[in-house]
Amino acid sequence: MSDRLEVAVSVRVPGFDLDVAWSAGGGVAVLFGPSGAGKTLTLQCLAGLITPNAGRIVVDGRVLFDSASGVNVPAQARRVGYVFQGYALFPHLTVAENVGFGLRDLPQARRAEKTTTVLEQLGLGGLDRRHPRELSGGQRQRVALGRALAIDPALLLLDEPLSALDAPLRRALRDELRALLSTVGTAAVVVTHDFTEAYRLGDRIVVYDAGRVVQSAPRSELLWQPASESVARIMGIRNVLHGTVVKATPDRIQLRWRGQLLEAVNSPTRSYLPAADSPIAFFIRPEYVRLIRKDRGNADPSHHMNLMEGVVVGEEDFGTTWSLRMRLSEPGTPAQGDYDLEVEVPHLVYEILEIERDRRWEFSIHRGSIHVLPA
Amino acid sequence: MTPETGDALLLSLRVAVLATLLNAILGVPLAWALARRRFPGRAVVDLLVTVPLILPPTVTGYYLIVLFGRRGWLGAPLYQLTGWSVAFTWYAAVLAATIMALPLLVRTAKAAFESVDRDLERAAYTLGRSELRTALEVTLPLARNGILAGLVLAFARALGEFGATLMLAGNIPGKTATVPLAIYTAVQTGEDTAALVLVGILTVLSCLVIVAANRLGARAT
Repeated sequence: MSDRLEVAVSVRVPGFDLDVAWSAGGGVAVLFGPSGAGKTLTLQCLAGLITPNAGRIVVDGRVLFDSASGVNVPAQARRVGYVFQGYALFPHLTVAENVGFGLRDLPQARRAEKTTTVLEQLGLGGLDRRHPRELSGGQRQRVALGRALAIDPALLLLDEPLSALDAPLRRALRDELRALLSTVGTAAVVVTHDFTEAYRLGDRIVVYDAGRVVQSAPRSELLWQPASESVARIMGIRNVLHGTVVKATPDRIQLRWRGQLLEAVNSPTRSYLPAADSPIAFFIRPEYVRLIRKDRGNADPSHHMNLMEGVVVGEEDFGTTWSLRMRLSEPGTPAQGDYDLEVEVPHLVYEILEIERDRRWEFSIHRGSIHVLPA
Repeated sequence: MTPETGDALLLSLRVAVLATLLNAILGVPLAWALARRRFPGRAVVDLLVTVPLILPPTVTGYYLIVLFGRRGWLGAPLYQLTGWSVAFTWYAAVLAATIMALPLLVRTAKAAFESVDRDLERAAYTLGRSELRTALEVTLPLARNGILAGLVLAFARALGEFGATLMLAGNIPGKTATVPLAIYTAVQTGEDTAALVLVGILTVLSCLVIVAANRLGARAT
Protein backbone atom coordinates (compact mmCIF):
# COMPACT_ATOMS: atom_id res chain seq x y z
CA MET A 1 0.00 0.00 0.00
CA SER A 2 1.30 3.40 -0.89
CA ASP A 3 1.75 6.00 1.82
CA ARG A 4 -1.37 7.94 2.68
CA LEU A 5 0.50 10.49 4.66
CA GLU A 6 3.77 12.15 3.74
CA VAL A 7 5.23 14.67 6.12
CA ALA A 8 8.39 16.70 5.77
CA VAL A 9 8.53 19.89 7.77
CA SER A 10 11.16 22.15 9.15
CA VAL A 11 10.15 24.83 11.61
CA ARG A 12 12.42 27.33 13.28
CA VAL A 13 11.06 28.94 16.43
CA PRO A 14 13.19 30.77 19.00
CA GLY A 15 15.14 28.18 20.95
CA PHE A 16 13.83 25.21 19.00
CA ASP A 17 14.45 23.60 15.67
CA LEU A 18 12.06 21.04 14.24
CA ASP A 19 13.28 19.12 11.24
CA VAL A 20 11.38 15.92 10.52
CA ALA A 21 10.36 13.72 7.63
CA TRP A 22 8.28 10.56 7.85
CA SER A 23 5.47 8.82 6.08
CA ALA A 24 2.73 6.41 7.05
CA GLY A 25 0.31 4.06 5.34
CA GLY A 26 -3.27 3.73 6.48
CA GLY A 27 -4.13 3.30 10.12
CA VAL A 28 -2.63 5.06 13.06
CA ALA A 29 0.79 6.66 13.19
CA VAL A 30 2.00 7.49 16.67
CA LEU A 31 4.48 10.28 17.32
CA PHE A 32 6.31 9.11 20.39
CA GLY A 33 9.01 10.82 22.39
CA PRO A 34 9.77 12.95 25.43
CA SER A 35 7.94 16.23 25.98
CA GLY A 36 9.51 19.10 24.10
CA ALA A 37 10.56 16.87 21.20
CA GLY A 38 8.37 18.68 18.65
CA LYS A 39 5.42 16.29 18.44
CA THR A 40 2.68 18.86 19.04
CA LEU A 41 4.43 21.32 16.73
CA THR A 42 4.24 18.68 14.00
CA LEU A 43 0.50 18.27 14.56
CA GLN A 44 0.04 22.03 14.31
CA CYS A 45 1.89 22.02 10.98
CA LEU A 46 -0.36 19.21 9.74
CA ALA A 47 -3.46 21.13 10.80
CA GLY A 48 -2.22 24.35 9.20
CA LEU A 49 -2.09 26.22 12.51
CA ILE A 50 1.61 26.86 12.01
CA THR A 51 3.29 27.50 8.69
CA PRO A 52 6.55 25.56 8.45
CA ASN A 53 9.63 27.38 7.14
CA ALA A 54 9.97 24.65 4.55
CA GLY A 55 8.56 21.25 3.73
CA ARG A 56 5.75 19.31 2.12
CA ILE A 57 2.62 17.73 3.56
CA VAL A 58 0.52 15.33 1.48
CA VAL A 59 -2.60 13.52 2.69
CA ASP A 60 -4.08 10.88 0.37
CA GLY A 61 -2.49 12.55 -2.63
CA ARG A 62 -3.83 16.00 -1.68
CA VAL A 63 -1.03 18.52 -1.19
CA LEU A 64 -1.77 20.61 1.90
CA PHE A 65 1.55 22.35 2.06
CA ASP A 66 4.50 22.60 -0.28
CA SER A 67 7.04 25.34 0.23
CA ALA A 68 8.63 24.61 -3.16
CA SER A 69 5.45 25.33 -5.14
CA GLY A 70 3.99 27.82 -2.65
CA VAL A 71 0.97 25.71 -1.70
CA ASN A 72 -0.41 26.38 1.78
CA VAL A 73 -4.02 25.31 2.28
CA PRO A 74 -5.43 27.33 5.23
CA ALA A 75 -6.41 25.43 8.37
CA GLN A 76 -10.09 26.18 7.67
CA ALA A 77 -9.99 24.31 4.36
CA ARG A 78 -7.81 21.32 5.31
CA ARG A 79 -10.54 19.09 6.74
CA VAL A 80 -8.22 17.92 9.46
CA GLY A 81 -9.91 16.81 12.69
CA TYR A 82 -7.89 17.86 15.71
CA VAL A 83 -8.38 16.48 19.21
CA PHE A 84 -6.41 18.85 21.42
CA GLN A 85 -4.58 17.96 24.58
CA GLY A 86 -7.12 18.79 27.29
CA TYR A 87 -9.75 18.59 24.50
CA ALA A 88 -10.38 22.34 24.04
CA LEU A 89 -14.15 21.92 24.13
CA PHE A 90 -16.03 25.22 23.85
CA PRO A 91 -17.14 25.76 27.45
CA HIS A 92 -19.96 28.13 26.50
CA LEU A 93 -21.57 25.67 24.10
CA THR A 94 -23.53 22.47 24.69
CA VAL A 95 -22.29 19.04 23.67
CA ALA A 96 -24.45 19.13 20.54
CA GLU A 97 -23.24 22.63 19.65
CA ASN A 98 -19.65 21.54 20.14
CA VAL A 99 -20.05 18.50 17.89
CA GLY A 100 -21.97 20.51 15.29
CA PHE A 101 -19.54 23.43 15.35
CA GLY A 102 -17.75 22.37 12.19
CA LEU A 103 -20.98 21.77 10.27
CA ARG A 104 -22.06 25.38 9.88
CA ASP A 105 -22.24 25.13 6.09
CA LEU A 106 -24.82 22.36 6.25
CA PRO A 107 -28.54 23.21 6.33
CA GLN A 108 -30.00 23.16 9.84
CA ALA A 109 -31.74 19.81 9.45
CA ARG A 110 -28.72 18.04 7.97
CA ARG A 111 -26.52 19.46 10.70
CA ALA A 112 -28.81 18.22 13.47
CA GLU A 113 -29.02 14.81 11.81
CA LYS A 114 -25.25 14.50 11.46
CA THR A 115 -24.69 15.66 15.05
CA THR A 116 -27.13 13.05 16.34
CA THR A 117 -25.44 10.32 14.30
CA VAL A 118 -22.01 11.20 15.71
CA LEU A 119 -23.32 11.44 19.29
CA GLU A 120 -24.94 8.01 18.96
CA GLN A 121 -21.83 6.51 17.40
CA LEU A 122 -19.76 7.68 20.37
CA GLY A 123 -22.28 6.64 23.00
CA LEU A 124 -23.07 10.23 23.93
CA GLY A 125 -26.80 10.01 23.26
CA GLY A 126 -28.82 11.98 25.82
CA LEU A 127 -25.94 14.27 26.73
CA ASP A 128 -26.50 16.66 23.84
CA ARG A 129 -27.75 19.55 26.01
CA ARG A 130 -25.07 19.30 28.69
CA HIS A 131 -22.16 21.67 28.89
CA PRO A 132 -18.56 20.38 28.90
CA ARG A 133 -18.11 21.18 32.61
CA GLU A 134 -20.95 18.77 33.41
CA LEU A 135 -19.20 15.82 31.75
CA SER A 136 -16.74 13.22 33.03
CA GLY A 137 -13.23 13.08 31.62
CA GLY A 138 -14.08 10.14 29.40
CA GLN A 139 -17.18 11.86 28.04
CA ARG A 140 -15.21 15.02 27.29
CA GLN A 141 -12.71 12.99 25.33
CA ARG A 142 -15.50 11.47 23.27
CA VAL A 143 -17.09 14.86 22.62
CA ALA A 144 -13.72 16.14 21.39
CA LEU A 145 -13.43 13.09 19.14
CA GLY A 146 -16.97 13.54 17.93
CA ARG A 147 -16.40 17.20 17.11
CA ALA A 148 -13.32 16.24 15.07
CA LEU A 149 -15.05 13.31 13.36
CA ALA A 150 -18.21 15.24 12.50
CA ILE A 151 -16.44 17.11 9.70
CA ASP A 152 -15.57 13.79 8.00
CA PRO A 153 -11.88 14.57 8.27
CA ALA A 154 -9.33 13.45 5.73
CA LEU A 155 -6.91 13.15 8.62
CA LEU A 156 -7.43 12.88 12.36
CA LEU A 157 -4.91 14.33 14.83
CA LEU A 158 -4.94 13.44 18.51
CA ASP A 159 -2.61 15.18 20.96
CA GLU A 160 -2.08 13.14 24.14
CA PRO A 161 -5.72 12.01 23.96
CA LEU A 162 -5.53 10.09 27.24
CA SER A 163 -3.25 12.23 29.40
CA ALA A 164 -6.12 14.17 31.00
CA LEU A 165 -7.64 10.97 32.42
CA ASP A 166 -7.10 8.97 35.62
CA ALA A 167 -4.97 5.84 35.31
CA PRO A 168 -7.73 3.17 35.43
CA LEU A 169 -9.90 5.07 32.97
CA ARG A 170 -6.93 5.68 30.73
CA ARG A 171 -6.42 1.95 30.17
CA ALA A 172 -10.05 1.33 29.36
CA LEU A 173 -10.28 4.30 27.03
CA ARG A 174 -7.02 3.42 25.32
CA ASP A 175 -8.50 0.19 24.05
CA GLU A 176 -11.81 1.87 23.28
CA LEU A 177 -9.95 4.52 21.29
CA ARG A 178 -8.02 1.87 19.40
CA ALA A 179 -11.24 0.12 18.42
CA LEU A 180 -12.85 3.40 17.41
CA LEU A 181 -9.91 4.48 15.26
CA SER A 182 -9.91 1.20 13.41
CA THR A 183 -13.71 1.37 12.89
CA VAL A 184 -13.55 4.91 11.55
CA GLY A 185 -10.69 4.03 9.22
CA THR A 186 -9.52 7.62 8.85
CA ALA A 187 -5.75 8.02 8.74
CA ALA A 188 -4.77 9.25 12.19
CA VAL A 189 -1.73 10.70 13.91
CA VAL A 190 -1.57 10.32 17.70
CA VAL A 191 0.94 12.09 19.93
CA THR A 192 2.02 10.44 23.17
CA HIS A 193 5.01 10.23 25.49
CA ASP A 194 3.86 6.91 26.97
CA PHE A 195 5.29 3.87 25.22
CA THR A 196 2.51 1.48 26.23
CA GLU A 197 0.02 3.93 24.76
CA ALA A 198 2.11 4.29 21.61
CA TYR A 199 2.31 0.52 21.23
CA ARG A 200 -1.39 -0.08 21.88
CA LEU A 201 -2.63 2.67 19.56
CA GLY A 202 -0.10 2.79 16.75
CA ASP A 203 0.38 0.71 13.65
CA ARG A 204 3.51 2.70 13.01
CA ILE A 205 5.55 4.49 15.64
CA VAL A 206 7.65 7.53 14.81
CA VAL A 207 10.15 8.23 17.58
CA TYR A 208 10.93 11.91 18.17
CA ASP A 209 13.84 13.34 20.08
CA ALA A 210 14.87 17.00 20.24
CA GLY A 211 13.13 18.00 17.02
CA ARG A 212 14.34 15.04 14.96
CA VAL A 213 12.94 11.64 14.00
CA VAL A 214 15.26 9.00 15.43
CA GLN A 215 13.27 6.03 14.16
CA SER A 216 10.11 5.34 12.23
CA ALA A 217 8.98 1.73 12.13
CA PRO A 218 6.01 -0.62 12.46
CA ARG A 219 5.34 -1.00 16.16
CA SER A 220 6.59 -4.60 16.54
CA GLU A 221 9.80 -3.78 14.74
CA LEU A 222 10.38 -0.84 17.05
CA LEU A 223 9.72 -2.97 20.12
CA TRP A 224 12.37 -5.54 19.23
CA GLN A 225 14.75 -3.51 17.11
CA PRO A 226 15.22 0.00 18.37
CA ALA A 227 17.49 1.70 15.90
CA SER A 228 19.94 3.02 18.46
CA GLU A 229 20.77 3.31 22.10
CA SER A 230 19.05 6.69 22.33
CA VAL A 231 15.81 5.21 20.93
CA ALA A 232 16.04 2.41 23.49
CA ARG A 233 16.44 4.96 26.27
CA ILE A 234 13.51 7.07 25.04
CA MET A 235 11.40 3.91 24.99
CA GLY A 236 12.36 3.34 28.61
CA ILE A 237 14.02 0.01 27.89
CA ARG A 238 15.85 -1.33 30.94
CA ASN A 239 19.23 -3.07 31.03
CA VAL A 240 20.81 -1.07 28.23
CA LEU A 241 24.42 -2.22 28.53
CA HIS A 242 27.80 -1.65 26.92
CA GLY A 243 30.24 -4.35 25.86
CA THR A 244 32.97 -5.05 23.33
CA VAL A 245 32.54 -6.91 20.06
CA VAL A 246 34.44 -10.17 19.82
CA LYS A 247 33.15 -11.40 16.49
CA ALA A 248 30.22 -10.41 14.28
CA THR A 249 28.66 -12.51 11.54
CA PRO A 250 25.34 -11.86 9.71
CA ASP A 251 23.46 -14.11 12.15
CA ARG A 252 25.46 -13.99 15.39
CA ILE A 253 27.34 -11.41 17.39
CA GLN A 254 29.73 -12.47 20.12
CA LEU A 255 30.53 -9.84 22.68
CA ARG A 256 32.37 -9.45 25.93
CA TRP A 257 30.70 -7.84 28.92
CA ARG A 258 31.70 -7.85 32.58
CA GLY A 259 34.08 -10.77 32.04
CA GLN A 260 31.41 -12.85 30.26
CA LEU A 261 31.45 -14.01 26.68
CA LEU A 262 27.88 -13.48 25.45
CA GLU A 263 26.30 -14.58 22.22
CA ALA A 264 23.52 -12.58 20.62
CA VAL A 265 21.43 -13.06 17.50
CA ASN A 266 22.30 -10.54 14.84
CA SER A 267 19.30 -8.91 13.30
CA PRO A 268 18.15 -10.77 10.19
CA THR A 269 16.77 -7.60 8.56
CA ARG A 270 19.72 -5.34 9.16
CA SER A 271 23.14 -6.93 8.86
CA TYR A 272 25.00 -4.99 11.45
CA LEU A 273 28.67 -6.04 11.32
CA PRO A 274 30.78 -4.01 13.74
CA ALA A 275 34.54 -4.63 13.75
CA ALA A 276 36.09 -6.77 16.45
CA ASP A 277 37.06 -4.88 19.64
CA SER A 278 34.66 -2.00 18.85
CA PRO A 279 32.26 -0.91 21.60
CA ILE A 280 28.70 -2.17 21.30
CA ALA A 281 25.45 -1.35 23.10
CA PHE A 282 22.82 -3.98 23.71
CA PHE A 283 19.81 -4.60 25.91
CA ILE A 284 18.33 -7.50 27.79
CA ARG A 285 14.65 -7.35 28.78
CA PRO A 286 14.38 -8.06 32.52
CA GLU A 287 11.55 -10.54 31.98
CA TYR A 288 13.66 -12.63 29.56
CA VAL A 289 16.34 -13.58 32.08
CA ARG A 290 15.86 -17.21 33.24
CA LEU A 291 16.81 -18.12 36.79
CA ILE A 292 17.99 -21.75 36.91
CA ARG A 293 16.26 -24.07 39.36
CA LYS A 294 18.59 -25.76 41.79
CA ASP A 295 16.43 -28.84 42.28
CA ARG A 296 16.99 -30.12 38.74
CA GLY A 297 20.73 -30.79 38.82
CA ASN A 298 23.56 -28.60 37.67
CA ALA A 299 23.17 -26.06 34.92
CA ASP A 300 24.31 -27.33 31.59
CA PRO A 301 26.12 -24.79 29.41
CA SER A 302 25.09 -26.68 26.29
CA HIS A 303 21.41 -26.15 27.20
CA HIS A 304 21.70 -22.87 28.96
CA MET A 305 23.09 -20.16 26.74
CA ASN A 306 24.94 -17.20 28.17
CA LEU A 307 25.17 -18.73 31.62
CA MET A 308 26.11 -16.39 34.48
CA GLU A 309 26.05 -16.32 38.24
CA GLY A 310 25.20 -13.52 40.63
CA VAL A 311 23.66 -12.32 43.87
CA VAL A 312 20.44 -10.45 44.49
CA VAL A 313 21.52 -7.10 45.91
CA GLY A 314 18.13 -5.38 45.81
CA GLU A 315 14.52 -6.06 45.01
CA GLU A 316 11.24 -4.24 44.49
CA ASP A 317 7.70 -5.53 44.63
CA PHE A 318 5.56 -4.36 41.71
CA GLY A 319 2.42 -6.16 42.82
CA THR A 320 2.34 -8.91 40.23
CA THR A 321 6.08 -9.11 39.60
CA TRP A 322 9.29 -8.72 41.53
CA SER A 323 12.16 -6.74 40.11
CA LEU A 324 15.50 -8.14 41.28
CA ARG A 325 18.79 -6.30 40.97
CA MET A 326 21.54 -8.88 40.38
CA ARG A 327 25.24 -8.36 40.77
CA LEU A 328 27.50 -10.78 38.89
CA SER A 329 30.04 -12.76 40.86
CA GLU A 330 32.81 -11.01 39.01
CA PRO A 331 35.40 -8.53 40.17
CA GLY A 332 35.16 -5.00 38.83
CA THR A 333 32.55 -2.22 38.89
CA PRO A 334 28.94 -3.35 38.33
CA ALA A 335 27.41 -2.16 35.05
CA GLN A 336 24.49 -0.19 36.53
CA GLY A 337 25.64 1.40 39.77
CA ASP A 338 25.53 -1.28 42.46
CA TYR A 339 24.14 -4.00 40.20
CA ASP A 340 24.65 -5.48 36.73
CA LEU A 341 21.27 -6.69 35.59
CA GLU A 342 17.64 -6.10 36.42
CA VAL A 343 15.65 -9.35 36.39
CA GLU A 344 11.89 -9.52 36.54
CA VAL A 345 10.09 -12.59 37.90
CA PRO A 346 6.39 -13.19 38.45
CA HIS A 347 5.27 -13.43 42.11
CA LEU A 348 4.60 -17.13 41.74
CA VAL A 349 8.14 -17.85 40.59
CA TYR A 350 9.52 -15.67 43.40
CA GLU A 351 7.59 -17.77 45.92
CA ILE A 352 8.34 -21.23 44.42
CA LEU A 353 12.06 -20.50 44.18
CA GLU A 354 12.05 -18.95 47.67
CA ILE A 355 14.09 -16.02 46.41
CA GLU A 356 13.40 -14.15 49.64
CA ARG A 357 15.67 -16.66 51.42
CA ASP A 358 18.02 -17.75 48.64
CA ARG A 359 20.00 -14.87 47.16
CA ARG A 360 22.63 -16.54 44.94
CA TRP A 361 21.48 -17.69 41.52
CA GLU A 362 22.69 -18.93 38.22
CA PHE A 363 20.81 -17.54 35.27
CA SER A 364 20.89 -17.74 31.51
CA ILE A 365 19.75 -15.57 28.66
CA HIS A 366 18.76 -16.98 25.31
CA ARG A 367 20.82 -15.49 22.49
CA GLY A 368 17.58 -14.27 20.89
CA SER A 369 16.93 -12.16 23.98
CA ILE A 370 20.12 -10.14 23.77
CA HIS A 371 19.39 -7.30 21.38
CA VAL A 372 22.27 -5.37 19.93
CA LEU A 373 21.81 -1.67 19.30
CA PRO A 374 23.57 -0.26 16.23
CA ALA A 375 25.82 2.65 17.03
CA MET B 1 -31.75 69.59 44.69
CA THR B 2 -31.06 72.83 42.79
CA PRO B 3 -31.41 72.99 39.00
CA GLU B 4 -27.59 73.21 38.75
CA THR B 5 -26.99 69.95 40.63
CA GLY B 6 -29.69 68.26 38.58
CA ASP B 7 -28.09 69.49 35.35
CA ALA B 8 -24.68 68.33 36.49
CA LEU B 9 -26.01 64.89 37.35
CA LEU B 10 -27.81 64.42 34.04
CA LEU B 11 -24.82 65.69 32.09
CA SER B 12 -22.45 63.41 33.98
CA LEU B 13 -24.64 60.37 33.32
CA ARG B 14 -24.97 61.26 29.64
CA VAL B 15 -21.20 61.79 29.31
CA ALA B 16 -20.33 58.60 31.19
CA VAL B 17 -22.79 56.47 29.23
CA LEU B 18 -21.57 57.80 25.88
CA ALA B 19 -17.92 57.46 26.90
CA THR B 20 -18.57 53.86 27.99
CA LEU B 21 -20.29 53.17 24.68
CA LEU B 22 -17.34 54.61 22.77
CA ASN B 23 -15.03 52.49 24.92
CA ALA B 24 -16.97 49.39 23.94
CA ILE B 25 -16.91 50.27 20.24
CA LEU B 26 -13.27 51.36 20.07
CA GLY B 27 -11.68 49.67 23.06
CA VAL B 28 -12.91 46.08 22.72
CA PRO B 29 -11.61 45.53 19.17
CA LEU B 30 -8.42 47.34 20.15
CA ALA B 31 -7.98 45.10 23.20
CA TRP B 32 -8.54 42.02 21.03
CA ALA B 33 -5.97 43.20 18.48
CA LEU B 34 -3.43 43.92 21.22
CA ALA B 35 -4.05 40.50 22.78
CA ARG B 36 -4.10 38.40 19.63
CA ARG B 37 -2.48 40.11 16.67
CA ARG B 38 1.09 41.02 15.90
CA PHE B 39 1.16 44.21 13.86
CA PRO B 40 3.70 46.97 13.32
CA GLY B 41 3.41 49.75 15.86
CA ARG B 42 1.65 47.47 18.35
CA ALA B 43 3.89 48.53 21.23
CA VAL B 44 3.33 52.22 20.40
CA VAL B 45 -0.46 51.79 20.32
CA ASP B 46 -0.33 49.93 23.63
CA LEU B 47 1.72 52.76 25.13
CA LEU B 48 -0.52 55.54 23.78
CA VAL B 49 -3.66 53.87 25.07
CA THR B 50 -2.18 53.18 28.50
CA VAL B 51 -0.37 56.44 29.16
CA PRO B 52 -3.44 58.48 30.32
CA LEU B 53 -3.58 56.07 33.27
CA ILE B 54 -0.17 57.29 34.45
CA LEU B 55 -0.07 60.93 33.34
CA PRO B 56 -1.66 63.64 35.47
CA PRO B 57 -5.13 64.19 33.91
CA THR B 58 -4.26 67.83 33.22
CA VAL B 59 -1.34 66.70 31.07
CA THR B 60 -3.64 64.39 29.10
CA GLY B 61 -6.05 67.33 28.86
CA TYR B 62 -3.26 69.50 27.51
CA TYR B 63 -2.49 66.97 24.78
CA LEU B 64 -6.20 66.81 23.94
CA ILE B 65 -6.16 70.61 23.48
CA VAL B 66 -3.08 70.30 21.28
CA LEU B 67 -4.94 67.75 19.17
CA PHE B 68 -8.56 68.91 19.25
CA GLY B 69 -8.42 72.59 20.32
CA ARG B 70 -9.52 75.28 17.89
CA ARG B 71 -5.87 75.68 16.88
CA GLY B 72 -5.03 71.99 17.38
CA TRP B 73 -3.56 69.58 14.84
CA LEU B 74 -6.93 68.04 14.12
CA GLY B 75 -9.07 70.81 15.57
CA ALA B 76 -7.74 73.61 13.28
CA PRO B 77 -8.58 71.93 9.94
CA LEU B 78 -11.96 70.93 11.36
CA TYR B 79 -12.66 74.51 12.48
CA GLN B 80 -11.63 75.90 9.09
CA LEU B 81 -13.85 73.41 7.31
CA THR B 82 -16.96 73.63 9.48
CA GLY B 83 -16.53 76.61 11.78
CA TRP B 84 -17.14 74.24 14.68
CA SER B 85 -14.75 73.18 17.40
CA VAL B 86 -15.23 70.43 19.95
CA ALA B 87 -13.50 72.46 22.67
CA PHE B 88 -15.80 73.85 25.39
CA THR B 89 -18.79 71.77 24.24
CA TRP B 90 -20.22 68.80 26.11
CA TYR B 91 -18.78 66.61 23.33
CA ALA B 92 -15.38 67.59 24.67
CA ALA B 93 -16.37 66.16 28.04
CA VAL B 94 -17.29 62.90 26.30
CA LEU B 95 -13.98 62.90 24.42
CA ALA B 96 -11.94 63.56 27.56
CA ALA B 97 -13.83 60.93 29.56
CA THR B 98 -13.42 58.39 26.74
CA ILE B 99 -9.67 58.86 26.51
CA MET B 100 -9.26 58.76 30.28
CA ALA B 101 -11.38 55.60 30.67
CA LEU B 102 -9.90 53.74 27.68
CA PRO B 103 -6.81 52.36 29.45
CA LEU B 104 -8.94 50.74 32.15
CA LEU B 105 -11.20 49.05 29.62
CA VAL B 106 -8.41 48.07 27.23
CA ARG B 107 -6.19 46.61 29.94
CA THR B 108 -9.01 44.62 31.53
CA ALA B 109 -10.43 43.41 28.23
CA LYS B 110 -6.97 42.55 26.90
CA ALA B 111 -6.29 40.40 29.96
CA ALA B 112 -9.69 38.74 29.47
CA PHE B 113 -8.92 37.96 25.81
CA GLU B 114 -5.48 36.67 26.73
CA SER B 115 -6.94 34.32 29.31
CA VAL B 116 -8.97 32.51 26.64
CA ASP B 117 -7.23 29.20 25.85
CA ARG B 118 -5.64 29.54 22.41
CA ASP B 119 -6.44 25.90 21.69
CA LEU B 120 -10.12 26.88 21.62
CA GLU B 121 -9.40 29.33 18.81
CA ARG B 122 -7.20 26.78 17.04
CA ALA B 123 -10.02 24.25 17.33
CA ALA B 124 -12.39 26.76 15.71
CA TYR B 125 -9.93 27.29 12.83
CA THR B 126 -9.69 23.55 12.15
CA LEU B 127 -13.50 23.45 12.18
CA GLY B 128 -13.64 26.00 9.38
CA ARG B 129 -14.04 29.32 11.20
CA SER B 130 -12.20 32.39 9.96
CA GLU B 131 -10.21 34.49 12.39
CA LEU B 132 -12.99 37.09 12.64
CA ARG B 133 -15.76 34.53 13.15
CA THR B 134 -13.63 32.77 15.76
CA ALA B 135 -13.12 36.05 17.61
CA LEU B 136 -16.89 36.69 17.57
CA GLU B 137 -18.11 33.16 18.32
CA VAL B 138 -15.42 31.87 20.67
CA THR B 139 -13.08 34.49 22.09
CA LEU B 140 -15.59 37.28 22.71
CA PRO B 141 -18.22 35.19 24.54
CA LEU B 142 -15.54 33.62 26.71
CA ALA B 143 -13.97 36.99 27.55
CA ARG B 144 -17.39 38.53 28.16
CA ASN B 145 -17.27 38.88 31.94
CA GLY B 146 -13.82 40.43 31.87
CA ILE B 147 -14.95 42.89 29.21
CA LEU B 148 -18.07 43.80 31.18
CA ALA B 149 -15.95 44.35 34.29
CA GLY B 150 -13.71 46.61 32.20
CA LEU B 151 -16.72 48.57 30.95
CA VAL B 152 -17.98 49.04 34.50
CA LEU B 153 -14.58 50.40 35.51
CA ALA B 154 -14.54 52.62 32.43
CA PHE B 155 -17.99 53.95 33.33
CA ALA B 156 -16.80 54.76 36.86
CA ARG B 157 -13.71 56.48 35.54
CA ALA B 158 -15.75 58.50 33.04
CA LEU B 159 -18.20 59.51 35.76
CA GLY B 160 -15.40 60.80 37.98
CA GLU B 161 -13.28 62.49 35.31
CA PHE B 162 -12.15 65.97 36.30
CA GLY B 163 -8.76 67.21 35.09
CA ALA B 164 -8.83 66.44 31.39
CA THR B 165 -12.48 67.51 31.15
CA LEU B 166 -11.67 70.83 32.77
CA MET B 167 -8.84 71.42 30.29
CA LEU B 168 -10.73 70.56 27.10
CA ALA B 169 -14.36 71.27 27.97
CA GLY B 170 -14.05 73.93 30.63
CA ASN B 171 -16.44 74.32 33.53
CA ILE B 172 -19.56 75.88 32.05
CA PRO B 173 -22.58 75.34 34.33
CA GLY B 174 -25.38 73.51 32.56
CA LYS B 175 -23.14 72.86 29.54
CA THR B 176 -19.89 71.17 30.47
CA ALA B 177 -19.93 71.20 34.26
CA THR B 178 -20.14 67.50 35.15
CA VAL B 179 -20.63 66.38 38.77
CA PRO B 180 -16.94 66.46 39.77
CA LEU B 181 -16.60 69.98 38.31
CA ALA B 182 -19.85 71.08 39.95
CA ILE B 183 -18.55 69.78 43.30
CA TYR B 184 -15.39 71.83 42.86
CA THR B 185 -17.41 74.96 42.03
CA ALA B 186 -19.81 74.39 44.91
CA VAL B 187 -16.97 74.06 47.42
CA GLN B 188 -15.21 77.12 46.00
CA THR B 189 -18.36 79.23 46.27
CA GLY B 190 -19.39 77.91 49.69
CA GLU B 191 -22.53 76.02 48.57
CA ASP B 192 -21.97 73.28 51.13
CA THR B 193 -25.33 71.55 50.74
CA ALA B 194 -25.01 71.20 46.98
CA ALA B 195 -21.47 69.84 47.37
CA LEU B 196 -22.61 67.32 49.98
CA VAL B 197 -25.48 66.04 47.83
CA LEU B 198 -23.24 65.53 44.80
CA VAL B 199 -20.47 63.96 46.84
CA GLY B 200 -22.99 61.56 48.36
CA ILE B 201 -24.42 60.58 45.00
CA LEU B 202 -20.99 60.01 43.46
CA THR B 203 -19.84 57.96 46.46
CA VAL B 204 -22.88 55.67 46.30
CA LEU B 205 -22.51 55.24 42.53
CA SER B 206 -18.82 54.42 42.89
CA CYS B 207 -19.50 51.81 45.58
CA LEU B 208 -22.16 50.19 43.38
CA VAL B 209 -19.66 50.08 40.54
CA ILE B 210 -17.09 48.29 42.71
CA VAL B 211 -19.68 45.71 43.77
CA ALA B 212 -20.70 45.15 40.14
CA ALA B 213 -17.11 44.86 38.96
CA ASN B 214 -16.27 42.38 41.73
CA ARG B 215 -19.28 40.22 40.88
CA LEU B 216 -18.33 40.14 37.21
CA GLY B 217 -14.71 39.47 38.10
CA ALA B 218 -15.69 36.56 40.35
CA ARG B 219 -17.79 35.01 37.62
CA ALA B 220 -15.01 35.47 35.06
CA THR B 221 -12.61 33.18 36.94
